[in-house]
Amino acid sequence: MDILPQLILNSVIAGAIYAMVALGFNLIYGATKFFNLTHGVIAVIGAYAFLFFGKTLGLNLFLSVFIGIVMAAIVGYGLDKLIYLPLRKRKASNMALLIASLGAFTALQAIIAILFTSQFQTFWRNYSTQKIYEIYGGVITQTQLIILISGILITAALVLSLKYILFGKMTRAVSDDEEAAKIIGINTDKIISRVFIIGSAIAGLAGILIGFDTGIEPTMGMSLLLKGVIVSVIGGVGNIYGGFLGAFLLGFAENFGIWKISGEWKDAIAFGLLIIFLLFRPQGIMRK
Amino acid sequence: MQYLIHLAILFAIYGILGLSLNLVVGYTGLLSVTHAAFYGIGAYATAILLTSFGVNFFISVIAAVIISAVIALLIGLILSKFDDDYYALASFGFNIIIFSVFLNWQELTRGPLGIPGISKPNLFGLDFSSNLSFLGLSLAFLGLIYFISRFIVNSSFGRILKAIREDEKAIQIFGYNTLYYKLAIFVISAAMASVAGSLFASYITFIDPSSFWLMESIFILAIVILGGLSNLKGSLLGALFLILLPEALRFVGMPNDIAAQMRQVIYGVILILLMLYRPQGLAGEYKL
Repeated sequence: MDILPQLILNSVIAGAIYAMVALGFNLIYGATKFFNLTHGVIAVIGAYAFLFFGKTLGLNLFLSVFIGIVMAAIVGYGLDKLIYLPLRKRKASNMALLIASLGAFTALQAIIAILFTSQFQTFWRNYSTQKIYEIYGGVITQTQLIILISGILITAALVLSLKYILFGKMTRAVSDDEEAAKIIGINTDKIISRVFIIGSAIAGLAGILIGFDTGIEPTMGMSLLLKGVIVSVIGGVGNIYGGFLGAFLLGFAENFGIWKISGEWKDAIAFGLLIIFLLFRPQGIMRK
Repeated sequence: MQYLIHLAILFAIYGILGLSLNLVVGYTGLLSVTHAAFYGIGAYATAILLTSFGVNFFISVIAAVIISAVIALLIGLILSKFDDDYYALASFGFNIIIFSVFLNWQELTRGPLGIPGISKPNLFGLDFSSNLSFLGLSLAFLGLIYFISRFIVNSSFGRILKAIREDEKAIQIFGYNTLYYKLAIFVISAAMASVAGSLFASYITFIDPSSFWLMESIFILAIVILGGLSNLKGSLLGALFLILLPEALRFVGMPNDIAAQMRQVIYGVILILLMLYRPQGLAGEYKL
């Protein structure tokens, strides 16, 4: 097994996961202009809902995945209705929204830990049954292949619907200028609440896929969220295409970084990249 | 009685942290989520100096203050490029980078093993090894920090900080170089946090990186916001409240691991409710 093809594969897979997390984050940022820190924990909710329905109750695989995604979407919708919408109505500053989402994040993560313990858990009973494919000497599991394909498909679907569907156009209008969108008769609150549903659903799916790949624990939401944030900043916050590119850039930077340095510094590398981008290219790789 | 003394010492430590963070968040309006990093730098500096070099506690406090002031100067220089939510985001990043250093620079910090056997302070034969005398020392430090903070906020320097918070552009037009002021208060605040860290290390006699994780920064932020932004007595009130609140859970008879998670839930919910209904905190003068 060569190291280089494997590193490239790992980077691409990590990139696909980050892309999915960042996609929803960017979508929500675009519409609301605040950093929604609960996004990471929503992915975790999707994963734990799947764990409960799929593994504990033993429901059908696809049904459980569906329930997991729906649960994530419901929580995202609920957070918007109960917390963010009232705050926006009150013209609260972005910092107030940020802190409220930080509070929601802390509370939800702890609730998950109470319900499901803070232990690390896996979806599979036996990992060796997974199919493995070899590409140029690198190894990729079936789950990772699914992650890669879903990442690309979802991004493509989202980009196309933003461009061609009426809802997508309305979302872009809200992202561009919420006041103006309101004036021409778009129900911006409704659009934003749908954006929360879609973004959270994608995050939920990402959480479930990560669970299949490695396993889940309640605290993984924080690192997922931070990766999503970093990727968004690298790509230019609110920019869907940029986020996609940024995700793969971060995937490569991390995996090649730990090859040269050491695995424990992964988070520090990611944040170093964030701060470099914030300093020298705050608008991201792609200018809007 | 020992239990009450223990709580009082914790109150003094978190009181210092709350006061110092309030100078940055409340008075200057910079949403810093990196306070636990300086708290940790203080704790590690004292722990290492005491265990490996046998330095006197009070000298280690001075050394810790200098070390964290220098690091704060570097971080503050980078942070000064950002404002509002980007400032919060970048400060997040620094907390994680410094946490990674605590965790991974094993030659210095012993990584996740932590540093045990940190001795109690001793000054000219005056011994602070009993909890009661340690409480006296902690309260003395708290009082000192309180008076320094009060002096700062009532001075002309403090008035300029408030002016920066209200309208940075306007105060720049009057010819003030706001960068120096923001840097100065950030460094002062970090130096104060490191004193709290020194006390913590010496009191608990054991430290490991987990005490200085991002959640700790969020907890300190919760103290400041709950007590009231831009109100020093408010920070003390916030610290008292958030230290005593989880103890109430203990009396309800909750198992320890669930109580720990319940605390997180409560902090989270408090932050959300404050943002929704009282964004300036209980006794605050400034809304985020």
